[in-house]
Amino acid sequence: MKSIKDLERVKEQALADMRVRSSSGSPRVTVGMGTCGIAAGARETMLAIIDELKKRQKLDVTITETGCIGLCAKEPIVEVHIPGEPRVVYGNVDVSRARQIVASHLVNRKVVDDWVINIRKEDE
Amino acid sequence: MVDISLHLLDLMQNSARAQATRVVLKITENREKDTLTAIVTDNGIGMDEEEKRLALDPFYTTKKGKKVGLGLPLVVQAARMSGGDVKIESHPVSGTTVEVTFSLSHPDRQPLGDIPATLVSFMAGNPDIELSFEYAGDQGTFSMTSSQLFSQEEKETLGQIALLSLAEKRMRAGLAGAGFRPDGGGVIG
Repeated sequence: MKSIKDLERVKEQALADMRVRSSSGSPRVTVGMGTCGIAAGARETMLAIIDELKKRQKLDVTITETGCIGLCAKEPIVEVHIPGEPRVVYGNVDVSRARQIVASHLVNRKVVDDWVINIRKEDE
Repeated sequence: MVDISLHLLDLMQNSARAQATRVVLKITENREKDTLTAIVTDNGIGMDEEEKRLALDPFYTTKKGKKVGLGLPLVVQAARMSGGDVKIESHPVSGTTVEVTFSLSHPDRQPLGDIPATLVSFMAGNPDIELSFEYAGDQGTFSMTSSQLFSQEEKETLGQIALLSLAEKRMRAGLAGAGFRPDGGGVIG
């Protein structure tokens, strides 16, 4: 390494590698399972997501949970992250919305705009 | 929380936050003694005496940036309004045991609720924690451990979603065989 340009090349390469790493792998669904989420019905939401994914044979999805993120009034909260696409956070996701999110977003790659409470770019 | 199984899920989530690698849930229904007991035991980081005392205070939490911690106070309220109580045993390092008792026939006791749903959702969010469950009622018993719920072949060939669906099916069948009723029994019978 002899110059600033070399250093910048190394940086660009490292950033490109990180992008590849973070966009690889399976789609991920995260359900808020803090006390507020559980009280609002997050358990049923999670089970509905599992059931709908199973029914549609969409088995490459990883399902996981998180605690309270401070938006208790919007619970149950579900984040859908398809590698290479922005993370979409949905609010007030009851069983019926959960099933529609699986069908529309995870299977048909169409975000359900009406229930979105936040969209974050992948590297945010 | 509308039923006991939701309180139990919340207690199990506390165990997960306490870095437990093993969580045990035991539910015992005893009509003769008129008791319904649920015990959550974990091998997490535990609490010292001061934390244990504060744990029942709804305005105490260990989470940064939060002002309330409602999980345990809600369990205590549900237990006490039905003639029961909550006992906490905890030691730093060795882990925590929370024992919740209810009077089975008390009209204000919440229904036991969907226990398999509680177990499956916990397994989904915490795949690295070994979850054991024991149920003992007047009509039978059922027990399972998450690591032994599937055969080696199933673990190798099925993905997370398929395994969770299978777990739910097996637990529902096992509990039905043990005479488990989501309404918790005792109220009408």
